Amino acid sequence: MLNRSIQPTVNPIEHIDLVKAESRRLSNGIPVYFVNAGTQDVVKIDFIFEAGTWFQTTNLVASLCNSMFEEGSRNFTATEIAEKFDFFGAYLQLTVDQSQGFVNVVSLGKHLSAILEVTEDLIKRSIFPEHELEVLIAKNKQKWLLENEKVRTLCQKKFTQVMFGDAHPYAINNKLEDFDQITREDLMRFYKTFYHSGNCHIIASGNINEEVLQLLDRYFGGTDWQQSPVVIPEYEICPSPVKKHHVEKANGIQSAIRVGKFWVPKSHPDFHALSILSTILGGYFGSRLMTNIREEKGYTYGIGSYVLNLKKASYLVISTEVGNEYIEPTLAEIAVEMKRLQTELVSENELETVKSYLLGEFLRDFDGPFALASSFKAINDFGLDYSFYDQALKVLRNITSAELMQLAQQYLNIEDFYTVVAGSNQLQ
Amino acid sequence: MIHFERTKLANGLTVIVHRDQTTPMVAVDVCYNVGSRDEHPDRTGFAHLFEHLMFGGSKHIPSYDEPLQKAGGDNNAYTSNDLTNYYLTLPKNNIETGFWLESDRMLELAFSKTSLDVQRNVVIEEFKQRQLNQPYGDVWPLIRQLAYKVHPYQWPTIGREISHIEKATIQQVKDFFFAHYAPDNAVLVVTGDVDFDQVVKLADRWFGSIPNRHVKPRNIPQEPEQTEIREQTVVRDVPSDTIYMAYHTADRLDPVYYATDLVSDVLSNGNSSRMYINLVQKEKIFTELDAYLSGDFEPGLFVVSGKPSNGVSLDFARKAIERELDRMKQDRVPEYELEKVKNKVEANIVYGEMNYLTKAMNLATNEILQDANLINTQVESYRSVTSEQIQEVSQHIFRPENCSVLHYIAKK
Repeated sequence: MLNRSIQPTVNPIEHIDLVKAESRRLSNGIPVYFVNAGTQDVVKIDFIFEAGTWFQTTNLVASLCNSMFEEGSRNFTATEIAEKFDFFGAYLQLTVDQSQGFVNVVSLGKHLSAILEVTEDLIKRSIFPEHELEVLIAKNKQKWLLENEKVRTLCQKKFTQVMFGDAHPYAINNKLEDFDQITREDLMRFYKTFYHSGNCHIIASGNINEEVLQLLDRYFGGTDWQQSPVVIPEYEICPSPVKKHHVEKANGIQSAIRVGKFWVPKSHPDFHALSILSTILGGYFGSRLMTNIREEKGYTYGIGSYVLNLKKASYLVISTEVGNEYIEPTLAEIAVEMKRLQTELVSENELETVKSYLLGEFLRDFDGPFALASSFKAINDFGLDYSFYDQALKVLRNITSAELMQLAQQYLNIEDFYTVVAGSNQLQ
Repeated sequence: MIHFERTKLANGLTVIVHRDQTTPMVAVDVCYNVGSRDEHPDRTGFAHLFEHLMFGGSKHIPSYDEPLQKAGGDNNAYTSNDLTNYYLTLPKNNIETGFWLESDRMLELAFSKTSLDVQRNVVIEEFKQRQLNQPYGDVWPLIRQLAYKVHPYQWPTIGREISHIEKATIQQVKDFFFAHYAPDNAVLVVTGDVDFDQVVKLADRWFGSIPNRHVKPRNIPQEPEQTEIREQTVVRDVPSDTIYMAYHTADRLDPVYYATDLVSDVLSNGNSSRMYINLVQKEKIFTELDAYLSGDFEPGLFVVSGKPSNGVSLDFARKAIERELDRMKQDRVPEYELEKVKNKVEANIVYGEMNYLTKAMNLATNEILQDANLINTQVESYRSVTSEQIQEVSQHIFRPENCSVLHYIAKK
């Protein structure tokens, strides 16, 4: 007779195949990291430049410069670029983050050559046409207006300003009038300085064979797009002396909440253990915050904590959106959950659960070409190697409740946390 | 091409297996043939609220998530107008935990009062987060209400109003469960490095004893043909005016669906599409412009939405859209342009075949629609569309009396 009350035997995850990226260099020295995996003839090529917002001296320059790549190059108009990508069913994604600018291409392998021919031109010979720039600015202005109606955007902006100080590049402080001050010359200067072979590396994943590598060398391996090395500017972090902040947004019925503090970098000996601690606090569906604030109290649709690792700083942040009447109770419960981690041992049962969950996540992070590529990027960006993951696994398998409690006492003191609430209620 | 095998258990549960030997994980997808279209007009949002309750413990298992996490698993679910889909992934050596969890909640829920009380609140916060506290959050509900007068597609999945969710009772939850959650109203899909016979054996072991509940075929009032243009204007606290034009289209199984889908691609899929090039890039009438299908199983909507540039009136903007739609009616789409949108569809299908979970979800939803094998025949269905069919379907859809227009005005 089937006993439905007992879970079938759970088998431990013993083996995780940490498939590693291989590397080589194009003729001009550009490092190419590649993962050959997957069953479909699909190729993803990420051209990565040290050209993030960290390097801009005027707001919006990094992202607008990057976005303009599809708006016209010496040999292809914006329309021709779009035609090529659409005709071959390929995708071009242009994005920037705090440290890097990305030109990511996804294509069927059979069309890669045609796609790289256009990609080469738009990376090496972008021309920033006036008309297209105007259209792009008008579009981005509208997007900005929309985003800044959302409490979560207002909250995140304020949170980064409070943590880093308004002048720091990690603080999001773009304003509507910035769009009117940007000039084509600003973008071209940024482009010349940061988008060249000496400031680039490539991550390729999917059906990566010798032919793909040769194509990359043909289009990007020359010395025709070399510039002088980039000087990395330094900035000082100036956190606000005040820990609690409010952003007013009239007529909102929900408020966005951010509660966060600076965290250790990936290279720190406590990093892996702290990742487990933050998972217990708010990093998965069964976390303390989700269980208490959503599943027991129903104050919110979702609450979570995550660690953001940037090159020059890391922080832990708890984020949620709650009905205005639940702001104070939610903040109180967040404090309670941190206190509990400092004063009560995590039970064996809960520890087992979170360990198994994280091992499963590990498997997912190393499953499939794109996941493998992003797991590589997550170490490569920080100058780390795959021993980072060996170490993470080791810590995960051996961590004890006593160690976690000790870490909570050191790192989860509520008085170290910044609290930002965006909504139509004053924070008491 | 996705190879799969399919069988039906004695209790009516369809089981589909696709083998993917490249992943150490398995996906287990259980899709129920029930969505917000099956709701009573006075109890909207119920199918979705119910989806939340499916995580609140089942007859023999008090917690759904914890044992799954113990087995290294992860899960999620969504509700649409047409179906409710539950899916989880696990390391393959723990596959049986997936069967244990999913079969127990198909057998019977715990029907816990506490769970209902809490999830009601969670869903109300979700309602606020998605709709009430979000700029343009009420656009879809307004469009649906305007376009549908009879068919339950007139309300959104989250529900028509918060009070419907507030009033849900345990008895209603029970009734809903036994009316819709049943092996004969569901499909089980497993993908990963698994063997068909092994999966069928597991399915029989865990799901085989759940009784067939003889779910009644749905009897949904069909929307009568719209005979005159409908217009609505609302003023909201948003940054910019937006226009929405919604036209009734065919259902997903109608052969013209594929041509209709390509019409939306010609108009607005990618930066080389007509509306983007002409109205955004060249004439700068819009900063944002999209054309898309609602994708509903039953006759759905073809929506064109656009945000006019600063200083452009909604009226002028609307005329520009109508000009493009008229061109679709008057002229055949050139071969090259048709080839382009077909290539893109085909490439997207290949991208969708890269991941074991995506494959499981596509197999499951197509089986609920009619037949899992639609994911394999769709390439040919798209390929065989002619420019003549595109023109015909455009002429049929883009008629003023078939259109509902929503003017969404920014409060100054």
